[in-house]
Amino acid sequence: MVGALPLMDAAFKSRGGTHRSSVWRLLAATPPLAFLGVFFVWPVFAILLRGLRPNGVWNLAAFSDVFSDPAMRRVLWFTLWESIASTVLCVIVALPAAAMFARLRFRGKRLLWSALLVPFVLPTVVVAVSMLGVIGGGGLAGVNLNGTVWAILIAHVFFNYAVVVRTVGATWSTIDPRLEESARILGAAPWRVFADITWPLIRSSVAAAASIVFLFSFTSFGIVLILGGLSHRTLEVEIYDQTAKFLHLDIAAVLAIVQLVVVVVILIWFGRSQRRRSVLVNQRSASETEQSAVTSSQRWLIRSNILFMAVLFGIPLGLLVVRSFSTPSGWGFGFYQALTDSRGGSTSFVPPIDAVGNSLLFALIATVVALALGLCAAWAIVGNGSDVSNSRFSRWTDTALMIPLGTSAVTVGFGFLIVFDEPPLNLRSSLWLIPIAHAIVALPFVVRLLVPGLRSIDPRLREAASILGASPRRVWWTIDVPIVGRALAAAAGFAFAVSLGEFGATAFLARPDRPTMPIAIYRALGRPGDYNFGQAMAMSTILMVLTIVVMTVIDRFRPAGVSEF
Amino acid sequence: MKRLCVVALAFAVLAGACGSSGSSTKSDAKVGPVLVNGALPHFDTPVTLRVLTHDSFAVTQSVLDEFEAATNVRVELMPSGDAVAMTNAAILTAGNPVADLIFGFDENLLGSVLENNLLQEYAPQRLSAVDPSYVLDSSGMATPIDHGDVCVNFDRVAFAKSATQIPTTFDGLTESSMMKKLVVEDPSTSTPGLAFMLATIAKLGGGDDTSANAKWLSYWKQLKGNGVSVVDSWETAYYGSFSGGSGKGDRPLVVSYASSPPAEVQDTSLAVESSPTGVITDTCYRQTEFAGILRGAANPRAAAAFLEFMLGSSFQADVPGQMYVYPVVTGTPLPDTFAKYTAAVSNPLSLPFADVAANRDRWIAQWSALFR
Repeated sequence: MVGALPLMDAAFKSRGGTHRSSVWRLLAATPPLAFLGVFFVWPVFAILLRGLRPNGVWNLAAFSDVFSDPAMRRVLWFTLWESIASTVLCVIVALPAAAMFARLRFRGKRLLWSALLVPFVLPTVVVAVSMLGVIGGGGLAGVNLNGTVWAILIAHVFFNYAVVVRTVGATWSTIDPRLEESARILGAAPWRVFADITWPLIRSSVAAAASIVFLFSFTSFGIVLILGGLSHRTLEVEIYDQTAKFLHLDIAAVLAIVQLVVVVVILIWFGRSQRRRSVLVNQRSASETEQSAVTSSQRWLIRSNILFMAVLFGIPLGLLVVRSFSTPSGWGFGFYQALTDSRGGSTSFVPPIDAVGNSLLFALIATVVALALGLCAAWAIVGNGSDVSNSRFSRWTDTALMIPLGTSAVTVGFGFLIVFDEPPLNLRSSLWLIPIAHAIVALPFVVRLLVPGLRSIDPRLREAASILGASPRRVWWTIDVPIVGRALAAAAGFAFAVSLGEFGATAFLARPDRPTMPIAIYRALGRPGDYNFGQAMAMSTILMVLTIVVMTVIDRFRPAGVSEF
Repeated sequence: MKRLCVVALAFAVLAGACGSSGSSTKSDAKVGPVLVNGALPHFDTPVTLRVLTHDSFAVTQSVLDEFEAATNVRVELMPSGDAVAMTNAAILTAGNPVADLIFGFDENLLGSVLENNLLQEYAPQRLSAVDPSYVLDSSGMATPIDHGDVCVNFDRVAFAKSATQIPTTFDGLTESSMMKKLVVEDPSTSTPGLAFMLATIAKLGGGDDTSANAKWLSYWKQLKGNGVSVVDSWETAYYGSFSGGSGKGDRPLVVSYASSPPAEVQDTSLAVESSPTGVITDTCYRQTEFAGILRGAANPRAAAAFLEFMLGSSFQADVPGQMYVYPVVTGTPLPDTFAKYTAAVSNPLSLPFADVAANRDRWIAQWSALFR
């Protein structure tokens, strides 16, 4: 199926049928855009309108209130610079790791690749409490960074590292190392090779990852509240307070519009920098491009990366695991056993197996939805593989799908409450909202990972195959699937991880009780006492292990013949 | 690919259709008494009751089963964030609510609940058993269900180790020996944080002073000078910054609840004087939690039955063990650890709820100007 369309495109095009091609693209773009329209644009629009046009009369006084308030200007300025700083810092520290995963073979590589997504799924408050044990007052590091912007930046790198490493690493590994080798043989210095050969080839995936990191940092909420102290506030925090705390919907609407405008401007800028695309190069599978570390600089690359990860992730996560085994009566599984103790049959009790089951079920639905819609969107964006020029339509589709990442969860959530309140879409208290919200967040990841994969398919490959007599299905199976398959596995991993860890959008929506693991963790952490704290740590540890297992399984689901990660 | 896209589209529509079930006739007619000879009514046809709660709501399953068996009503609990977010979400959907009953708004939210015409009137027959001091709403919309106290907790071990006197009053917290020892929650983001700020207003006065020199604000200036730490939430304060009991931080004083100390006791033979944490009772601020029938509820009679059930003896006795709060019905027995390790708060601070509703946002703004 997937391959048949591009093939037909090629046929049409040879007869001057570009028009047909754009019809197909429009058709493919419809489901993801319709999904976005119903579950994102409409609720956001409705809540903005409720704020700015209460009782049918426009009230725009909030605009001048917000723009004349120096505190709000400070908030906007801080949000902008902390997110840019976080993005730059994250890319700088993650690129060496991407290089390591792309180029070198070492023991434990696959496990580490899966484990990278662990920080991505853990609830903010759990990580923050662990981090306070390291960089807080009386923490292991001996220096109190609590309340400083450093704590925020470190936490942002902590949560977003995997986004850059996995996105860039996947692209980097497919670049033929002979390109770099020949440059080196011709006498280019290593930095020259990187700047002239490698960077142009990876830069579009760096831009793709960086824009996601930027949006996550731009809409940072929990980290800023917990680790940033009182003086650091982001636009997201302000929007949450104005909406959920004070119900000042007019001010919240103005802030949300400001957020939207900044996000769109930044996305367009990122889109521009992605446009100057690299040439098509023949892709290599990872097993061909990776090699054992032989030179001292290669060994140094591995050692320094592992050391960095050990410090950034190993210490806080290690502390979390240690605390899950450190019971008042000594080391043991006491907290894990306590997870199954229903405290006399409380309704707030979540059997751990149920929490795991609910989390997996929602994540599975969200992943399937995000992959289906993401494939449509990616195909619409790429269009005919031979069409190298990036049309305006593609750019706008891509940008539109990214916008939800840069929008406040509370804006969308409260929007849901006021639009989905009548049949046929009385969804606001439906369990479907959870996977739908997760799929909206996961969609940009899927698209960003699939587009480069689809783009890299040289249309001549398909043409050659069909000329040699392959049926469209055969072309799809032997050409498209192996190449898109690896991107699909990576995309599924991110989609699953997004859903496993998501807490924001659905946490404050009324819904029939079907607690996921993050919700079980928050419930335990909301009560005092060693056993409640210990259970939160134990459940977090189970979530970490589950993440590694799921990611390993997904990474194994690769099409045969492609040994990609 | 095309088929995939069509399937996805169909799925989205299906998802919409699936959620569209169940909207019965809504009536705002006044709900009359539902008890039959003092007992819960039995509904002939099965009814589903949706109860909007905050995330901390809990009841023993067997107690809930009793209600379901007696009334033929199936209860669907809908946790939806903290009390403030829950209440504001309900206000946003006033008249066309997601549930029939709302539980868990406190007196600091009571003003906005009434102002926004969120509830419909129902006078529970069992209200007569409730200590009248908790019945704040004379209009008969909001029914008190439980109460607790927000108080400063101390780390007994740390104070014994440093041989410092444990403070007993608000003034004690600003002494130089308490430098960098107290952690509180931000009143704009946290319910106990708001209660503690209101406690300082109730105790020190100056609530009608809009200047930066209001008496209670001067007290906060002293706290600030004494290195008070302000964090976003109870979780961060208690587990991240507090040193006592299960806390992992380095500060021996924290704003928490009067009922927190029993949770830190593993061995119930422990003497009260040697339990890991304790409460400074002079700092306690009263918190009462209310429930009410939402205006536009699909099943107001079932909601009324649940209100009566919440004031019944089994639910009231269940409240301390499940939610760490006290029952409002006089004479309800308390669990042993609760009675033993929870400080008796004889004269908690409080403010009239109408004052809080009228001034809360300004107080928070004044407080924020000092701390941001």
